[in-house]
Amino acid sequence: MNRVQNTKLVLWLITGLAAAVGLYRFIYGLGATTNLSDATPWGFWIGFDVMAGVALAGGGFVITAIFYIMNREEYHHLVKPAVLTAFLGYIAVIFGLLFDLGLPWNIWHMMIYWNPHSPLFEVGWCVMLYTTVLFLEFSPVPLEKFSRYARIRNFLMRFRFVFVLLGIMLSTLHQSSLGSLFLIMPFKLHPLWYSNILPILFFISAIALGLMMVSFESLVTHWLYKRKPETKLVAKLGKAAVWVLGIYLAVKMIDIIASGEFGLIFDGSWEGGLFIAEILISIIIPIVIFSTPWLRTKTGWQTLGSFLVVFGMIFNRINVGGFTMLRATGDLYIPAWTEITISFGVVSVAALVFLFVIEKFHIWEKSPENPEARPHAKPSFDYSSRVWLGTPGIAAMTKYSLAFMLTFAFGVAILPEKQLESKGIENLTVKKARGENILFIDGNRDAYGVAFDHARHIDSLHLKDSCYVCHHMNIPLDKNSGCWECHEYMYSESNVFNHDWHASQAGANIACGKCHPDNDVRTKQTAKKCIECHTDMLTEPEEHPFERLATASYTDALHMQCVSCHKEKAVSVPDKQNLAECASCHESAPPEHLYELLKWYDTKPSYNRVILPLEKSNQEEEKSL
Amino acid sequence: MSKAILTDITKCIGCLKCVSACKKENKLEMDVPRIWQKNDGLSAENWTSIIQKPDKHYIRKQCRHCLEPACVTVCPVGALHKTETGAVVYDKDKCLGCRYCMMACPYGIPRYDWDEPVPYIRKCILCYDRLKNNQQPACTEICPVKATIFGERDELLKLAHQQIKDNPDRYIDKVWGEFEIGGTSVFYISDIDLGFLAYQTRLGTKPLPQTTAPAMKSVPYAFVGMGGAMLGLNWIIRRRNKLGKTEKEQKEATDE
Repeated sequence: MNRVQNTKLVLWLITGLAAAVGLYRFIYGLGATTNLSDATPWGFWIGFDVMAGVALAGGGFVITAIFYIMNREEYHHLVKPAVLTAFLGYIAVIFGLLFDLGLPWNIWHMMIYWNPHSPLFEVGWCVMLYTTVLFLEFSPVPLEKFSRYARIRNFLMRFRFVFVLLGIMLSTLHQSSLGSLFLIMPFKLHPLWYSNILPILFFISAIALGLMMVSFESLVTHWLYKRKPETKLVAKLGKAAVWVLGIYLAVKMIDIIASGEFGLIFDGSWEGGLFIAEILISIIIPIVIFSTPWLRTKTGWQTLGSFLVVFGMIFNRINVGGFTMLRATGDLYIPAWTEITISFGVVSVAALVFLFVIEKFHIWEKSPENPEARPHAKPSFDYSSRVWLGTPGIAAMTKYSLAFMLTFAFGVAILPEKQLESKGIENLTVKKARGENILFIDGNRDAYGVAFDHARHIDSLHLKDSCYVCHHMNIPLDKNSGCWECHEYMYSESNVFNHDWHASQAGANIACGKCHPDNDVRTKQTAKKCIECHTDMLTEPEEHPFERLATASYTDALHMQCVSCHKEKAVSVPDKQNLAECASCHESAPPEHLYELLKWYDTKPSYNRVILPLEKSNQEEEKSL
Repeated sequence: MSKAILTDITKCIGCLKCVSACKKENKLEMDVPRIWQKNDGLSAENWTSIIQKPDKHYIRKQCRHCLEPACVTVCPVGALHKTETGAVVYDKDKCLGCRYCMMACPYGIPRYDWDEPVPYIRKCILCYDRLKNNQQPACTEICPVKATIFGERDELLKLAHQQIKDNPDRYIDKVWGEFEIGGTSVFYISDIDLGFLAYQTRLGTKPLPQTTAPAMKSVPYAFVGMGGAMLGLNWIIRRRNKLGKTEKEQKEATDE
């Protein structure tokens, strides 16, 4: 099997699906594509793409500090890949953020509208500047290939130390400021994760993560291209990481003990368990692996250890970024598959660019060649085995584009239009109706009229003197109570016309000819309409014989007298709980003139109508009335 | 001349006139049930709401217009700002949609147009346009029982304390919004605990911007400090390497 090509194929597959989802995100908005809500405005995209993304790209500043500042020549092999990872990482963060921002085309506003008090302002500026610095830091590598830019390259090379220094300074700021983002939410964040020194904790953990991310990435790419892994260097980085992780653990625990929250770890809540798991995965197990000499020199253990730190720190950022706020917000947020797809898609694109750059430019001592596929070699046809030898580069490209198109099309297909438009109940255009017995109302609020038997509702629900039970449900801002407010299952899916049941002997046992005329083709179009048998069911508004009037809302039904009733009648009515019941004032049934009164309300720009923006539909209705 | 609103929970009859007046004034559209809404009645189209509690308690929820608002502090582009009238207002032309204000608000007030491809933050702005014309907000103007009233912040505070003093049996001896997170421009007096209006019942009296201020203040020091530390470290290491080299050379010279 071909590792490189298969990996790329998988990355292209994810990219295709993410592209489809991304397209829908911008057409239909955030509500349709995410599970974000008013209670959870930041979700997986902030936790993973931004917070974890920036932390993962921290390898750049850590390795450059080791190489350029501490003059450790032996890490030379790791510098270029680390800077490249950082550069692509920051581009990915910005790219991913564009999906999360409600108005991504305004992202440049941060440059002209300043609010220096905001941690996010600082993070934004640092990320912008650092990305520029990384661009300048990395551009000598691709420029190497083009001799006509040699002067620019030399110029950049001369200032490399300045770029590195600036990069470290900027990284210090925003790695820690990502923690400062959450300082303002002591009321939301769980106390085990909230701390006044959150920025410091974020910075220390970013250093540890940077060391381990560089190791992990080196191990994975070397495995991918079947090269000899940098075991010695990774072991050294591991040793350094043990120190940093140790300091991180000590600072974290001292902070928790100092603020008297130690007991919370073992109080049996799920947050306590989560905290223990996070500490074990991101700190304790890696420390054990990298402080044991015979473990830290083995590639397998190195991969496990560095992966655990990477995974554990992403976990930590997601925990701080919202997961441990669930108890305070009371909103069970689970990222939608669309959100996860976009995040993985962004990572996939970054990984594809990374692999492209390693193959095309001088990142390693020797640019890797795909061991199985030799992209530049001409494929030759082997006549004895009747197969093509060597995979031509173009064949791989065809595979990739096919993979992308396939998942893109699949994504477009499985994103149903309806779900994207709304997750709630859409289009509540209520047709007004009022009458004595049977009303024609758009009860479903979906442009299908139903005959609403007002009298039957009163009888069967024993509501003779209790108009308010239904009419009260409209808060004054709604036009009517929707049918769905009582008939909760109205919107669950059902087979509207069950043909088999109508035809079968155990069911309605209706002969075919009764609905399908004999001499015609038996299709849906030629069959009788439902209404011809079900005469009480109305499909066309024009066909109904009933009066169309406006329904009384709560305030209408109580004569818009909330205040005077509560003030005056409350004194005389003995049972104050039933103040809203008609019978507490009216001893007999509503008098005839009430109906006249209600009609009069219709002619006025009434209480309800003024509030609603549906002037157009109101006018239309008035015309039809 | 900071203005404020005082809401007396014991007087409110839950008629929702304030809600409808707000909708009319701010030209808000009809609300439809959406899964991203919270169950407190507020939404992108409802900037104030009445929460009904047992025993005929109606609690009006709206933006508290904090004296030191967390949302204003965190907005990276300054799309939200506290005006001299006390209202916290929103400039949609600056907003970039990061929703940090929604995260930072301890009362969970700002709401979002989740269903729009071009969404904005939506919240009570204390009818800022009316305030500029020396009118009071639509909600306090329409209240039929004067349960929610508008006035100067200092005077309302005095009035609230007077009210509690005059009817000690009727109220809990506390004006919500007087000290909470540094004080707000919307007060409540009540006979039940109103802690549930925020994410945490005890928010403390420390203004929330003060939690990030130390970190933000130390930013320049961290920047310069880290740069200095790195340069110093680099200098020491280079010098040490150089000394090591010359020592070696000297040693080699003496050996010869």
